[in-house]
Amino acid sequence: MSDIDADAETSAEADTDLDSDADFAPDADVEFDASDVPDADTNINAGINVEFDPVRPYTESEIIMTTVRIVTPFVLTYGLYLTFHGANSPGGGFQGGALVGVVVLMLAFAFGIQPTREWVGSGLMSGLASGGVLVFVGVGLGTLALGGTFLEYGLYEPFVGSDATKWGMEAIEIGGVSAIVSGVIMGLFFLTAAGYDSEGGDEA
Amino acid sequence: MSVVGFALAAFVLITAGATAMLRDTLAVIIVFAAYSLGMALLYTLLLAPDVGITEAAIGAGVTTILLLVTITKTTRPAAEEIFAGINWPAATVSAGLAAVLLAIIGSIPAGNFLGGTTPVTGAAGTPGEGVTGHYLASAYQQTGVHNSVTAVLASYRGFDTFGEAVVVFAAGVAVVLVLHQGDFI
Repeated sequence: MSDIDADAETSAEADTDLDSDADFAPDADVEFDASDVPDADTNINAGINVEFDPVRPYTESEIIMTTVRIVTPFVLTYGLYLTFHGANSPGGGFQGGALVGVVVLMLAFAFGIQPTREWVGSGLMSGLASGGVLVFVGVGLGTLALGGTFLEYGLYEPFVGSDATKWGMEAIEIGGVSAIVSGVIMGLFFLTAAGYDSEGGDEA
Repeated sequence: MSVVGFALAAFVLITAGATAMLRDTLAVIIVFAAYSLGMALLYTLLLAPDVGITEAAIGAGVTTILLLVTITKTTRPAAEEIFAGINWPAATVSAGLAAVLLAIIGSIPAGNFLGGTTPVTGAAGTPGEGVTGHYLASAYQQTGVHNSVTAVLASYRGFDTFGEAVVVFAAGVAVVLVLHQGDFI
């Protein structure tokens, strides 16, 4: 057993009562025997766990929590502003979506990854990412269906008026790009924090 | 470029060198975030606010957080030396690339950089006069949006942006598969 594996399992055992993460089956924790690991090794790992806990890389800090509590509303507002005002000022769906995603990352840093993950829920993230692609594809294929070329916004004029090009661009920036980017950024963060799951995933 | 510009360029060069040379991973990540912030300010100073915002949000923000979360999953070897040794083959390749880039930049008239009145790319007599000038001249009239960057991204080059957005989506799906997770938990 390598040091890293032992490290992960030791901390999983220590956190069993706090951690509702189902990645670590309870019986796996019971089976793990600390005496497998030489004493000196255990001590070294225990020392590392204080600083870098692979399962819950989180230290409750009043400073970080207060800062995030104050800053978050402004970051979220600025992200939405960049998204919705990107057509007429610097910014756009990509930048705005990134900032909206960062809000969730900041919350996770301040209040713990696991509670934030449960609060956000996987449905929101995969919904944003795949919904964004569907909106983008839908707008593009809609113009094809109307007899034009991909994303030829002008063809929507009978439905939305003479500003069809502008509204089409807003639709793919707000409903498409920004949704994809915010969903994927949140997802990447929680995925990286969760790490490799040797038990999970669909068997190919 | 102004004094501020040259100071920022020096800051970016120093932090880039430190990122390559420092031995401690945590220090590298922090210096790399500072590098991205310097680049973001430099982009803004060079009148590319869209790129600047992206660099600040993605480079200084998201990348730093993802790297930090990643190194919490590794052990941190006790570093005796502050700087790593120079990898000479890699340094030679990097120097060659830098020489090529400098040669290309050197072929652009120096007035474009040092005169303080950087001509907008696409203006008469600069590279890209044809297509860039067309976008700048007719973006508002043709698309109805004031930000010509958005006009190019979402309208003139909408299909490219579609590919780009799908690449981001595919990256998320790829990480789900690689990490054997069932979903974005």
